[in-house]
Amino acid sequence: MAHPTESVSLQDKHYFLIRRLHSLLGLVPVGAFLCVHLLANATVLAPGEPGGEFQKSIERIHALGPFLVPVEIVFIFLPLLFHSLLGFQIVFNSESNAQQYRYGSNIRFMLQRVTGILAFVFIFYHVWQMHWFGKPVGGGAFELHSESGAATGAITTAQAIQHAWWIAPVYGVGVLSCVFHLANGLWTSLITWGITIRPQSQRIAGYVCATFGVILGLIGMGALSGFRTFDLKSPPPVVGDAHANIADHEH
Amino acid sequence: MLCKNRRQYDAKELEAASAAIIAMAKTFTVTVQRQDNPHGGKYSESFELPYEPGMNMTTVLQRIAANPVTSDHQTSAPVAYDACCLEEICGACTMVINGCVRQACSALIDNLLQESTGPIDVKPMSKFPVVRDLVVNRKPMFESLKRVKAWIAVDGYHDLGAGPRVSVPQQEEAYPLSRCMTCGCCVEACPQFNDKSSFIGPAAISQAILFNVHPTGSIDREHRLEVLTSPGGIADCGNSQNCVKVCPKEIPLTDSIAKAGRDTTLYKLRQFFGR
Amino acid sequence: MAHQNVVVVGGGLAGLAAAMRLAEAGLHVDLISMVPVKRSHSVCAQGGINSVNEYTRQQGDNEWLHLDDTVYGGDFLQHQPPVKEMCDWAPRVIDLLDRLGVTFNRTNEGLRDQRRFGGTLYKRTAFAGATTGQQLIYALDEQVRRWEADGLVDKYEYWEFLGPILDDQGQCRGVVAQDMFSMEIRSFRADAVVLATGGCGLVYGRSTMSMICTGGAAARAFRAGVNYANGEFIQVHPTAIPGTDKLRLMSESARGEGGRVWVPKKPQDDRDPMSIPASERYYFLEERYPEYGNLVPRDIATREIFDVCVNLNLSVEQDRLCVYLDVTELPATTLKKLDGILEIYEKFQGDNPRVVPMKIFPAVHYSMGGLWADFERDDKTGGMVIGSPRNHLSNVPGLYVIGEADYQYHGGNRLGANSLLSCIFTGLFVAPTIENQLTSLKNGSSNDAPASLFDGAVAEHKQQMADLIARNGDENPYQLHLELGDSMTRNVTVVRRNKDIESTLSKIAELTARYKHISLADKGNWTNQNFSFTRALGDMLLMARVIAQGALQRDECRGAHFEPDFQITAPDADDPATLRKQATTWCQSFKKKNEQWLKSTIAKYTPDGVEFSYEDVDTSLIPPRPRTYGLKGAEIIGEVWSEMLAAADSDKEAKVGT
Repeated sequence: MAHPTESVSLQDKHYFLIRRLHSLLGLVPVGAFLCVHLLANATVLAPGEPGGEFQKSIERIHALGPFLVPVEIVFIFLPLLFHSLLGFQIVFNSESNAQQYRYGSNIRFMLQRVTGILAFVFIFYHVWQMHWFGKPVGGGAFELHSESGAATGAITTAQAIQHAWWIAPVYGVGVLSCVFHLANGLWTSLITWGITIRPQSQRIAGYVCATFGVILGLIGMGALSGFRTFDLKSPPPVVGDAHANIADHEH
Repeated sequence: MLCKNRRQYDAKELEAASAAIIAMAKTFTVTVQRQDNPHGGKYSESFELPYEPGMNMTTVLQRIAANPVTSDHQTSAPVAYDACCLEEICGACTMVINGCVRQACSALIDNLLQESTGPIDVKPMSKFPVVRDLVVNRKPMFESLKRVKAWIAVDGYHDLGAGPRVSVPQQEEAYPLSRCMTCGCCVEACPQFNDKSSFIGPAAISQAILFNVHPTGSIDREHRLEVLTSPGGIADCGNSQNCVKVCPKEIPLTDSIAKAGRDTTLYKLRQFFGR
Repeated sequence: MAHQNVVVVGGGLAGLAAAMRLAEAGLHVDLISMVPVKRSHSVCAQGGINSVNEYTRQQGDNEWLHLDDTVYGGDFLQHQPPVKEMCDWAPRVIDLLDRLGVTFNRTNEGLRDQRRFGGTLYKRTAFAGATTGQQLIYALDEQVRRWEADGLVDKYEYWEFLGPILDDQGQCRGVVAQDMFSMEIRSFRADAVVLATGGCGLVYGRSTMSMICTGGAAARAFRAGVNYANGEFIQVHPTAIPGTDKLRLMSESARGEGGRVWVPKKPQDDRDPMSIPASERYYFLEERYPEYGNLVPRDIATREIFDVCVNLNLSVEQDRLCVYLDVTELPATTLKKLDGILEIYEKFQGDNPRVVPMKIFPAVHYSMGGLWADFERDDKTGGMVIGSPRNHLSNVPGLYVIGEADYQYHGGNRLGANSLLSCIFTGLFVAPTIENQLTSLKNGSSNDAPASLFDGAVAEHKQQMADLIARNGDENPYQLHLELGDSMTRNVTVVRRNKDIESTLSKIAELTARYKHISLADKGNWTNQNFSFTRALGDMLLMARVIAQGALQRDECRGAHFEPDFQITAPDADDPATLRKQATTWCQSFKKKNEQWLKSTIAKYTPDGVEFSYEDVDTSLIPPRPRTYGLKGAEIIGEVWSEMLAAADSDKEAKVGT
């Protein structure tokens, strides 16, 4: 072996496993969750009662009841955290030279790292803003139910998105970063796992992943615009406005 | 500066442009990044040279050696550089010219003058310790070849008859990989190969694959896969795919990397499930 | 045994083959090379490596015919036992390389493919694309790396050999070498020293050789007392691409695969070459040599190209001598095999040789001559005694010479694809000799030699370095090299005339005098390439003297050494009787010439200058015969010569009888 005597760190010992896990977790469950999440959010665009379809889809998720939190932690937050932390290490161990070698794949390499960081920051913000985890620190705007009406989920989400002019653009950048990171990550993982080997197959995979990314991006943007333009006039006011709490905004 | 693959030059365009260059300027300027020794500071010097048709960067360095006078008429020391075969087969004269890593011998001045309007910019490779000026120490690359046992562990050099039969497709797959001259272009352009990482680099990965697919070379297959799955191995590749684009021998390095990805995955799975 | 050490200088094919074979025998090797061994000049070899093979055997080929082609091609100037041994081993050498993983081209059945090379009628040449030398050296480099990992080989790359260390008895006990980075000079103790330091093309300024092929190491050994043989035999390769910094080889394989050499019949025809009809093209090699066609031996191809350009004024270009080498008619599958060399042309000339004929001209390529080395003849086989202490031993005990650096295998002219063979063969073959020698060392191991011997040698080289750096004249080493190369190329290459050679000799004398007033642009003590080059220039001046003086003294035509003033007039009569008479005269002159000149030139260095003597050639296996490629009346000459030989034999028998 290469380093027979040196005592190796746990990470070095399971280096390959850890890196493969990083790749895998990025796809499943994190990537898969992103797809589900964006698709669910896009139901806000469904015809009928505003936010009704969206309400149904999130209620399906919340049907897990007491299991929801453990499921979220085990299948979303922990994998995401693992993927992010190792991702930061990967980012800081590389030295991008996309300025110098402006090949498409090299620019994507750089963007993968940039979008990784953006996605992490965005998700952090997003979880604080929407998830009840954020409540103790002034976030957690999303509510599933309230006395005010059936579409509480959509209304609380839309209120959070529409609360200030810059929030929707932040979501735009954040969601697109996540989508790019996933689509490009899918393309590189096909190489990493040795599924696409020849340049031709990598090129075809590139088209497929790009198409996937564009579609997912459209879905995400659709959902965002759905919440951005959601009509807040008719329903009565609701509780839990994250930004209002922080900025002591008048109600 | 944008690195253009040499094969992207259009021949007609080139001819017209070089004629224009000859007509326009009788001299051209080269700016060299210099460093007197491994511990010395970097500084740059410019040299103005008379244009000669068919000139390449090694000719330029030869002319500077013969007359090391800078553009501002200071006598300097000749620029130290590595060069050997001058036909892009030994890999010695790799350097970063106009921001792009390549061999000095096949860097034709006509092309370089086209790449930018300013002086031609010459620097040593940045991923290896500088010995002096443009000379760097590429020993780490050769050490990597040792790590992956890039050889065939034959029983001995006595007569044991011919080697194994090799089909034409097998030969056509192996030959391009075996043209690697350890010149360093791939690792120079690789964003993952740097001081902060222990990445072994595309060249060594490709060599590991070359010997793994050889019937006798595969004796050491598991050792190579073990190295490739250890820190600095295949998982450090970030798929920027610069390596394959700057490789002067057009070695399908990314094919090798993907194959290494597949082989290591299967190897580890087999290992995990006890074969 | 374990503490015994061999120093191998040079990491090309020969040096690497020796190092790996010595390490296999359990001997420790210090491998000294000016460049990382993987970058040695052997990488430039393109075409292939010769051996008899199953395919040619079916056509009646055998090792004896390989020997015959080699000595006939070399104009009988080489001792035949070593060549016999090499040809006998050739098939096994290729087998070994095959086992080491060399990516030889394959047939459909998975066997090694072969191509035809110059100077033979058989397809003896195994090849790996058009970069065979590169593929072979990589295989050996890998093996040596394996031994390096095992601790049996220590590589000293970027170290320059400065000279052997000889003790009072004249035994070589080690070498002095210099780190080209730190400029440190140190000694290496050795129980045997192997020089595998290649050729000396840089003496000619620009050649097909690499920047390291100065002949510096050979000159340093020569100064220390190792004789230099047949220096005047320099191969000029017929096809090279002219360039500003070097002349890049265009492999013989281009012709081996069917490439044709031609010029337009109309001098400097400015039409697009592809539009010139066949009837207006002069395929001069095919017309002059119907049997071998474009694959005549190199010296002849070179001379014909030279003749067509200079004497017939049929050069393709007005202000630059060149002819067309045309592969445009070849099918795509054949062109694919040549990709490696065609790329070189494309890259450095900017034209695509697949659609436009290449413009090429001869260039200095290989040193047939080299440091003198011995051999022991095996009377039973006619080859060498395996493991004999004399094989490849120079005239300095303990110092062996192999590869291009030795003079033994190629005589007056080397056949294509024989050099890779001779380099690897000699590397492998010298090992048992050294092994045997080290087990029976007369003077004990080099570890017993006094430290003062080594310290003294180091001090001497340090002093020489200081002296050279201290010179403070107004001569520029690069200018001197330019002038040396010009004069050598003009007068001591393809066509040689004594008065021209004399002028080059006086030029060398002038340059040697000016060298004393040389001034270094860099007087520093760190990676001083300026100094390294200037020191090598001094060596090149010495090598140039050996080459030119040898050429001047050899008043004949043999192989690559062509002096038209001493050419035997070829028969040209149409009348059979006259033709036969002319042939008889021709054969008599030939016999006389051989009596006087079928000898190796031996140069010996003395403080007063270079002394020349001549050594008989061992032609015990194949009697010399006229080399009549393309000569009119070749047949009749052959006939007359056989009769003369037969008559001489019966004379001898008659004398023995009485």
